[in-house]
Amino acid sequence: MAATDPRIPPASAAAERRRAGGVLLAALALPGLATPAAHADLAPGHSFVEFKQLHYQDAQSGLRRIHVDAPSLYVLTPLGANWSLAGSAVLDIVSGATPRYYTSVSGASRMFDRRIGEDATVTYYRPRSEFSFSASHSKEDDYESYGVSGDARFSTEDNNTTFNLGAGASIDTIKPVNHIVDTAHKHTFDFIAGVTQALSPDDIAQVQYGYSFGHGYFNDPYKLFDNRPAKRDQGAFTVRWNHQFERWGSTLRTNYRYYFDTYHIHAHTLQLEWVQPLGQAVSISPSLTYYTQRAANFYFDPPNGNQDRFPAIPPNSYSSLDQRLAAFGGITAGGRIDWDISHHWSTDLKGEYHEERPAWRLIGQGSPALYPFRYVAIEFGLSYRF
Amino acid sequence: MRANGDPGDTVAQFAAMACQAQLHVAGLEQAQARRAIDAAAAEVRRIEAKYSRYRADSVLSQINASAGSGAAVAVDQETAGLLDFAASLHAQSGGLFDITSGVLRRAWDFGAARLPAQAQIDALLPRVGWQRVRWDGPAAGGRRIELPLAGMELDFGGIGKEYAADRAAAVLHQAGVRHGFVNLGGDIRIVGPRPGGVPWALGIQHPRRDDATIASVQLGEGALATSGDYERYFEVPGEAGGQRYCHILDPRSGWPVRHWRSVSVVAPLCLAAGALTTIAMLLQDAALDFLRSQNVAFLAVDAAGSIVHEGL
Repeated sequence: MAATDPRIPPASAAAERRRAGGVLLAALALPGLATPAAHADLAPGHSFVEFKQLHYQDAQSGLRRIHVDAPSLYVLTPLGANWSLAGSAVLDIVSGATPRYYTSVSGASRMFDRRIGEDATVTYYRPRSEFSFSASHSKEDDYESYGVSGDARFSTEDNNTTFNLGAGASIDTIKPVNHIVDTAHKHTFDFIAGVTQALSPDDIAQVQYGYSFGHGYFNDPYKLFDNRPAKRDQGAFTVRWNHQFERWGSTLRTNYRYYFDTYHIHAHTLQLEWVQPLGQAVSISPSLTYYTQRAANFYFDPPNGNQDRFPAIPPNSYSSLDQRLAAFGGITAGGRIDWDISHHWSTDLKGEYHEERPAWRLIGQGSPALYPFRYVAIEFGLSYRF
Repeated sequence: MRANGDPGDTVAQFAAMACQAQLHVAGLEQAQARRAIDAAAAEVRRIEAKYSRYRADSVLSQINASAGSGAAVAVDQETAGLLDFAASLHAQSGGLFDITSGVLRRAWDFGAARLPAQAQIDALLPRVGWQRVRWDGPAAGGRRIELPLAGMELDFGGIGKEYAADRAAAVLHQAGVRHGFVNLGGDIRIVGPRPGGVPWALGIQHPRRDDATIASVQLGEGALATSGDYERYFEVPGEAGGQRYCHILDPRSGWPVRHWRSVSVVAPLCLAAGALTTIAMLLQDAALDFLRSQNVAFLAVDAAGSIVHEGL
């Protein structure tokens, strides 16, 4: 569970594509028939294995920087009628150049890192409710993280309304290789609550609120002049609305998210995705995302728009030159193709192009003198259900 | 149709709606399973009594008795839902699925195995046709039905048993059943898979051999229904083994359909699966395109015995 990234429970993409014909829709209009099958309360009836391979490359100032190759594996299996067990493992191989401050090229340092992450979730299913508990672990050379979380979902008698609640905690340990600090920790507690409501046979809406409390070491140890407050609370409010168009069998997914934190960053995200089935087995889904954020209150602009000069930072004050804390806007254009090869096998291919620029900030001015930042991500997935 | 099960499952069999009914419950203590089954069986009997053509006090008998009187009959919400569904099937099938076509049974006596005279059928056809019925349904703000001609009658064949299977499954689910199914004379609605998530193995009846199945279907949810030319029929001896006359009658001609021996459909609701099998039988050579347009899995056996199946 992550308080900052709540998602609508993924309706089976395959089920969504198998659009109800006119006769079934007419039958579904009768009350009191659909309850048992349309809403499976109990553990999933099938096991599921999925392999994914992510390739990510970002670039700035015309230079390629971070490059990530990340294979991951996800396994889900029912345990009897009321339980399921899921686990995933990911290996991130990261290499490239990371800027030491702002987006300047000259100070870039080479880096290579390998992250191994794994998590496990056990879920208990009851009629109209489910409870899950997750544990996660992630490790790289200079960073280690442990997390636990619990989530609960409750549905009303008619299954038109679902409430979810969750809480989690994590502890991160940072041991920078430059020994700028010896061993530092970061603690986070997060909470989430939400309601999902079926508004009509074609519309589903969701409201989620998540909040997390963090304290500890938030600095980026590899950036110069990075001295951040030791306490960071983050909140996010998300509204989603999905609408199905009977005529084309398509689905429009929209979501808006407002994010704020105690660094005084405020951000808005608006996302649109169109899911278009092509025949029984294939669907294509183009998507577009716009993002805009205000800078943290301790982010310092480069003096006179010159990245080669250091800003004047008063002694003992908080500071960061990390462009992720700057004011900017971003646009992501993406798409995915899903193909149900057979009853057992399915595959998908996702692509995403992202670009952010200070000038694209919607409300107020963007931070001056930052170069546009871009990335391309491509992910291939293959899953087997049995 | 047959289905597998485990020792320890609670199974009840009884006669209802002119067929063999079976309620199969797994994963519950026998006492709780029995209570659930009793409630579901009561629901089947309630629907049978409400929509039986053979009971003078049934809702359908009251509507049929008022045919030609010029008076509209007010119906309850449940009946209105089924009438709306029947109206929708009539529209979606191009007029082939018609709950007024039961009157043709007066010409077709399957027990006597005798071909009717064309004049008999011609005399009945003016009383067939949902488009003649005055149905002021919930969409039009009312719940009143009028059969304008004396002798017209409604018959929930093709939807009544299927509706009862869905309702019985819903009652089992409300009573705590999560593993089991309802089988009303071959119209099957799954409540949930076998304990452990294993689907039920359901057999599809061979249309020419009583003791054989033609295919097996694994279902953990949803419904399976079959219509066939083997349920009520007679054969007139002749060339090429004679001609079979089955009970599924084309409302335009008044004569039985011939193209398929049987059609089976898997759909989330038994009501939908059952209606689709009947429409497919009626559509004859246009059935497959229609079933594909409805996005359902199906298995059909044509008049020569060849099997066509998609999604199964």
